[in-house]
Amino acid sequence: MKDLAPPDLAASDAAADIRDLSVRLGERFEVAIERLSVAPGEVLVLDAPSGSGKSTVLGLVAGAVAPQARPARHRVAGHDLALAARPPGPAAMGFVLQTHALVPYLTMGDNIGLPARIARLRVAPDWAREVVGSLGLADLMGRFPAQLSVGQRQRAAVARAMLARPRLLLLDEPVSALDPANVHAVEELILRLAGDAGSAVLLAGHQIAGSAFAACRRVRHRVEVAGALTRSVFRAEAG
Amino acid sequence: MPLPIVLALRELRHDWISALCFVAALVGVLAPMLILLALKTGALDTMVERLVDDPANRELLAVGAGAHDEAFFRWLEARPEVGFVVPATRSINALADAVVVSFPRRSVVREVPLVVSAAGDPLLAGEVGPGRVWLSAPLAKSLGAAPGGVLTMVIGRRIDGLEQTARRRLEVAGIVPAERYGRPALFLSLPDMLAIERFRDDPAVTPDSWLQAAAPPAAFASFRLYARTLADLGPLSAALEERGVSVRPRAENAALLLQLRRGADRLYLAVAALAAAGFWAAMSANLRGMVERRRLAFSLLRMLGLAPAQRATVPLIQSLVLIGAGLGLSLALVLPSLALINASFPAVAEGAALARLRPDQLGGAAVLACVTALTAALWAMAAVLRIPSEEVLRHG
Repeated sequence: MKDLAPPDLAASDAAADIRDLSVRLGERFEVAIERLSVAPGEVLVLDAPSGSGKSTVLGLVAGAVAPQARPARHRVAGHDLALAARPPGPAAMGFVLQTHALVPYLTMGDNIGLPARIARLRVAPDWAREVVGSLGLADLMGRFPAQLSVGQRQRAAVARAMLARPRLLLLDEPVSALDPANVHAVEELILRLAGDAGSAVLLAGHQIAGSAFAACRRVRHRVEVAGALTRSVFRAEAG
Repeated sequence: MPLPIVLALRELRHDWISALCFVAALVGVLAPMLILLALKTGALDTMVERLVDDPANRELLAVGAGAHDEAFFRWLEARPEVGFVVPATRSINALADAVVVSFPRRSVVREVPLVVSAAGDPLLAGEVGPGRVWLSAPLAKSLGAAPGGVLTMVIGRRIDGLEQTARRRLEVAGIVPAERYGRPALFLSLPDMLAIERFRDDPAVTPDSWLQAAAPPAAFASFRLYARTLADLGPLSAALEERGVSVRPRAENAALLLQLRRGADRLYLAVAALAAAGFWAAMSANLRGMVERRRLAFSLLRMLGLAPAQRATVPLIQSLVLIGAGLGLSLALVLPSLALINASFPAVAEGAALARLRPDQLGGAAVLACVTALTAALWAMAAVLRIPSEEVLRHG
């Protein structure tokens, strides 16, 4: 089992560096990342309209969505995903899904520790306590997902993604299921934990203007129509 | 514990009602098959084996008298189908006029059939010799004779209107059980039989000289012949017929026994094959269904980096666990049931268990279960590998 040390930010390259990565969703719609670069520790926000393919962009970045062609460049936390057959592992990348999916037959504690266990990483107990405690999950670790509220499951998904201190954290609508009173607090908590972990963040969300991510750099989005094909194109140059 | 095993067991534990239903369905197929197998092994096979093992069913009788020389008997003895053969005299001479026991009380049985015997006689648990005979149980009962006892055999003849009798003192070496030979008979050695034939056929032989050593005849009128196994009866008959020797089996329906045994084996195999196929199909479909119910979990595990081999191992382990539990529970129900069946019908199989499973059958069932578990999981394993990681991005 490998020990998990905080990443050496100064020595690392970009948390994500992508060019020409795209996928067709049906015959007439394509989601494309023209260029996307996230610096270590940077927070980058995707706030395009609903249905424009934000979740697909995160899936493409994570390597979870198969591209239609080999990209010109697809590097995440030092891993070349254009060549890799498997995801880069939880120390490289954490992913909070919009679906806040958890493994239904594992307890919350086991779910949170699952990526580290798969990658055979040893998580520092202090950091694990910090993540779980900050997200208000300490008393829920023995519960199964079906015994949790939607908001609790979403926070568990955040904890699962952050536990291994990923160099890139992908967040897909991470507070969409929270009650409005808690949204801002959790957003700020995510930013703090990401900062503490040294993680760069690529976040897809709505209503960014009023959120804790309002000041963060945005991914530019445009729609191109060429005949029957509609392309939803995302671009974010290095800041 | 390796992660795939943890995941497989946690899912079964979490979804224990489904797992239990699954196991119950397996028990529903396995338990009746095991009981059927036990009944076939215990009742049918035991009874058929007894009939197959009965030497009387393996005996070939010579039709009519012949002239069989030493070469014929050497030829017979060399044949692999032959279990036992001894030359015999004409049947007209195979009858003692009387057998007399004087002690502890006098008893006489008249017209006692004589059966020539020798070492290896399948009806006897020992062997005869000159002056040493075996009695069938009915004859022993009539005479009140027991092993170690002494009796006198009386052989009569009529020459020129004059009746003469010869007597032979015989020692009883043993009793042939009634289930082996149910009629009165005296089993004696070939030299004694030949002496009787000489006395009856040759006027020059007197009651005083009939037991003196004499050269064996050039040919024998008949023989006692047993095939080695029931299956050897046919080929042996054919070989004899080809040589011009007409024979018939003592038990006309002996061949049916073999057909019955083969038929029972085939019938059970057919039933078992059908049940196994159904069991396999049910197992395969259930495992595939379990994967379908857990598509998002498998998609998530893929996205989190669980290797393909590890993901595919999950349904495989579940298959082994479920089938193992099904087999274990089936045995837990079947073995006491067999004990109950055997206790309820103790007389049916005459001492042997009416329903029993041999260790090799239990081992075979376990191996078959493992093979079923492994092969039935293939569909589910392939399905797991086809679940893409992006599925969990789109469906929550």
